[in-house]
Amino acid sequence: MSVRQISVFLESRPGHLRRVLDAFVAADVSVRGYCASDTGDYGIVRFVVDDPERAMGVLKNMGAAATASEVLCLRLADEPGELARVMGVMADCGVNVTYSYSLISTFIVLSVKDLARAEELLAGEPVELVGQEELAEPLASTDGR
Amino acid sequence: MSAVTDLAVKGAALAAAAAGDFSGLPIHNPSVECASRERIRAIQLAGLIEQVAWTYARVPWYRARMDERGVSPADIKTLEDVRKLPFTDKSVLRETFPYGLFAVPLDEVVELHASSGTTGKPIVVGYNAHDMDLWADCIMRLVQMAGVVPGDRAQMAFGYGMFTGGFGLHYGLQKLGCMMIPAGSGNTERHIAMIEDYGTTVLVATPSYALHMCEVGERLGFNWEASTLRVGLFGGEPCPPGLKTEIERRMHIVCTDNYGLTEVMGPGVSGECLASRDMQHIAEDHFLWEVVDPETGDPVPDGEMGELVLTPLGKQAIPVLRYRTHDLTRVITEPCACGRTTARMQKVRSRSDDMLIIRGTNVFPSQVEDVLAGIEGVTPHYRIVVDNEGGLDRMTVHAELKPEAFSDSFEEMEALRRAIAERLKGVLLVGVNVRLVEPGGIERTTGKAKHVEDRRTSAT
Repeated sequence: MSVRQISVFLESRPGHLRRVLDAFVAADVSVRGYCASDTGDYGIVRFVVDDPERAMGVLKNMGAAATASEVLCLRLADEPGELARVMGVMADCGVNVTYSYSLISTFIVLSVKDLARAEELLAGEPVELVGQEELAEPLASTDGR
Repeated sequence: MSAVTDLAVKGAALAAAAAGDFSGLPIHNPSVECASRERIRAIQLAGLIEQVAWTYARVPWYRARMDERGVSPADIKTLEDVRKLPFTDKSVLRETFPYGLFAVPLDEVVELHASSGTTGKPIVVGYNAHDMDLWADCIMRLVQMAGVVPGDRAQMAFGYGMFTGGFGLHYGLQKLGCMMIPAGSGNTERHIAMIEDYGTTVLVATPSYALHMCEVGERLGFNWEASTLRVGLFGGEPCPPGLKTEIERRMHIVCTDNYGLTEVMGPGVSGECLASRDMQHIAEDHFLWEVVDPETGDPVPDGEMGELVLTPLGKQAIPVLRYRTHDLTRVITEPCACGRTTARMQKVRSRSDDMLIIRGTNVFPSQVEDVLAGIEGVTPHYRIVVDNEGGLDRMTVHAELKPEAFSDSFEEMEALRRAIAERLKGVLLVGVNVRLVEPGGIERTTGKAKHVEDRRTSAT
């Protein structure tokens, strides 16, 4: 079980990320998690969204450099020590996490080189893998807005 | 089936050219374009003698310059005697703005054109009815080299206005018997809709705008292969070979580019035929060419690179003698496989005045263009920014990433960036920074693409 991640090449300049996000809003694509990292001149922004196909369509229309890939998505319990525990499981399985970021609530995305092997190894471990459908549901409370 | 019908079929001209058969491609004026070299030189000499007499008698500025040098029209007896005449630089046209070099009364002038003045006054040129005919003759030659035939529907994507490109091509194509669609510049989606609605067969554009149109069309799902469009006539800016090949492949058209400049007429000085695609045939009966050392002004040996100097022959309203184009090229006079015998100039890729000096090394933007054309992951669009950091020149090349080259990996993006930088360093012999920009991140223009931004202050 994995989820689809969408990566976009963006110049590190004001307004470039916003243009993509505005296009997502216009197409009713909901962002469930993202991370943006840069090399100085440009960055790669990675998104997990409710409808990856539609999001790719939006980006293609814009002529953007974008690509989709599969990543693991894990749900964590909201309690102290949980992240350390989960990363410990990964380490014990001998799976290297190339990068990771958190999504809404206590979901985290893990990028690994060999997805299938990681899934196999994690199947017997006390971690909760999440699929694409689950991410479409609203989770976070809007109380704090 | 006649050759003319064949050419109207999409892809026929390119297929014939690929097979080495140029017999079906029309030659507008074979009595000149296919004449012997001796005959061409005789036509040029007669034209030169007449042109110098015309200019001396009617333009006080030239009369004064020639008198200073002790040269009179009677001293012009051979083509080499052109070297006795003074050069004309752009600054002369500026100093005599607007009508100082005109050789005919203004009521005889039927049209004015001007080149964009980036600094100070523009360059203004005028044409009488005779000049307009001459101009159309030049255009009719070059468009037929690409396989344009009477009955073609030609859509103009140049701006009209004072720029010579728009009206120059317009009149010539119309005179040949084409239906003109004067769309003008801008509004790419409208251009594409017009191609579909009106059955456009010929597109007149800058190569960079044509590529932009191609990209927009692809995004909109427009089927270029099935479209009526058959020929692209490019001008307004130099067209790197890689760019043209890419447009031909993606838009399924045959593209040629032509050369000219406002100061000597406009487009039509020379044009590319399908037999030697890196060269352009000069309309030699209308233009006497010289190739000189840009530093000394002395002629370079036959066939070697130098600055192109042009003297229009038979142009009446504003004659210029020995115009310094600052364009670097070489000219060969061997007959061409297309059947023409007129001299061919190598396509202008660089100008004597667009050379950049980076930490003491000479760099031409065309070198950057060539390097980028050989790299898979980037488009032909680029931009060069030069500035100064701590007293050292710093050159940054902005290269545009192709969407399909993106891989979600910093290592791969950095490897691409480093590969470009290394290749550039190998060719330019000076280290440059490379900056990857998003697809579409380099501005597309309808006029001359501005590739270089030099932010260095003139104070050294």
